[in-house]
Amino acid sequence: MSLTGFVRFLRQSLQRLESDFIQAVGLDRSLGPALAVNGPSLLPQPNNSSEPSFLDSIFWMAVPKKRRTIEVNRCRRRNPNKMIKVKTNIEPCVQCGNLKLKHTLCGFCYEKIQKETSLIRRQIQNMEGRPLNTPAVETVVLFENETPGEADQGKRIVERSRKRPSWFNL
Amino acid sequence: DIYQIIHYSFCIWTIRNLRKCKKCQILAPCSQGSCLHTTAQLNTKNWDRKNRIVYPPQQKDEPPRPAEVFHCRRQIKYSKDKMWYLAKLIKGMSIDQALAQLEFSDKKGAIAIKEVLLEAQEMAVKNHNVEFKSNLYVAESFSGKGKYLKRIRYHGRGMFGIMDKVHCHYFVKLVEGTPPVVVQKTPFDQAKEYVEQLRSRTIIHSL
Repeated sequence: MSLTGFVRFLRQSLQRLESDFIQAVGLDRSLGPALAVNGPSLLPQPNNSSEPSFLDSIFWMAVPKKRRTIEVNRCRRRNPNKMIKVKTNIEPCVQCGNLKLKHTLCGFCYEKIQKETSLIRRQIQNMEGRPLNTPAVETVVLFENETPGEADQGKRIVERSRKRPSWFNL
Repeated sequence: DIYQIIHYSFCIWTIRNLRKCKKCQILAPCSQGSCLHTTAQLNTKNWDRKNRIVYPPQQKDEPPRPAEVFHCRRQIKYSKDKMWYLAKLIKGMSIDQALAQLEFSDKKGAIAIKEVLLEAQEMAVKNHNVEFKSNLYVAESFSGKGKYLKRIRYHGRGMFGIMDKVHCHYFVKLVEGTPPVVVQKTPFDQAKEYVEQLRSRTIIHSL
C-alpha cells in the first residue's frame, strides 16, 4: 500500500473525528446562530462526511499490538511440527539398486519401461496410420528372431527390432 | 626541471609503498598485497576460498586430520528460510542418507542441494584425496540470502507493493569419516544442569 495514501486518509479520518467531536461538544460555532438563542445548542448537523468507505473501516480491524520478537518468531518457525521429518521408508530397489519408497514403484525401472512402451506405441501408430484405426483384435509384441506361437494366432503382431529385454516376460 | 623530478619520484614512491585501502579509503603502507586492513569490501566469497588451504604434512604422533571439502551454490531461485529447513534436515547425516532424504523430498530446493552434494562428493574424491565416496558426512550445511530482484505487485485502488524475487545461497562442508553421534540432551538433564549452575554461583567480596 502507498505510504502517502495511507497517511492522507489517516489525516482525513482524524480531521473528521475532530470535527465530529467538536460538534458533539458544542464548541463549533460555524453552523449555529450568532446570537444566544433558547434552544438546544446541538443543532441537527447534516451528515457532511461521505458514507464510510473501505479506508475508514480499516480503523476497526484486528491489528497486531506489538512487533513479534525474533525469539518468538524462532520458536514458531523452528517448532518440530514445522521441521521436515526424516523419512524411514526408503529402501533400495531389488532390480536396479536405485533407491525407492516402500509403497512406490522404482523410478528408474519405471522410466526404462516407459521408454520402451513409447517406442512400441510409436510402432503401433506407424502401423495404424491414422487415428481411430485400431483393429478389433488383441495385440502381441514380438522382438527379434521371434515367431508367433500358437496362442498368438489371430492377434495383431507388433514387431520391435531389438532383443527381448530381460524384464519383458512372455 | 627539478620540481618535476621530485614530483615524479614522489609519485613513484607512493605507488610502490602506499596503497589505498578499499574499505576506509586512506593511504596505508603496504607491500606485495599485504595490508593492515584484511577484511576488504562486502563481496567476499570466502567459502570458495576455504578449499585452497593446504596443511603441512602431519607428524606421526598427531591424530589424523580428516579431509574437508567446502562447496556452495550461489543465487538459487528459492527462499533462504525454506532452504534452511532442508539444510537443517541433512546436517550431521552421512552423505548417502542425506542424498536419500533429498531424493524423496517434495521441496524445490532439494534438487539444488542434491546436485551440490553430488558435486562436492566428486570434488572430494578427485581433488581432496578422499578414498571412499561414501565415507563422508555433512558437517555444516546452511543457507544464506542472495541478491533479490525487485518487482511491482499491483494492488487495488492504485496501490502497489514491491515484490522481492528471492534468491538464496547454499553452503555445505563435507568431512571424511563416520558422522559423529550427537547425544540428545533430555529436558530433565537440561533442568538438572540449570540447577547445578545456579547452585555453583558464589558471592564475590563476601566473608
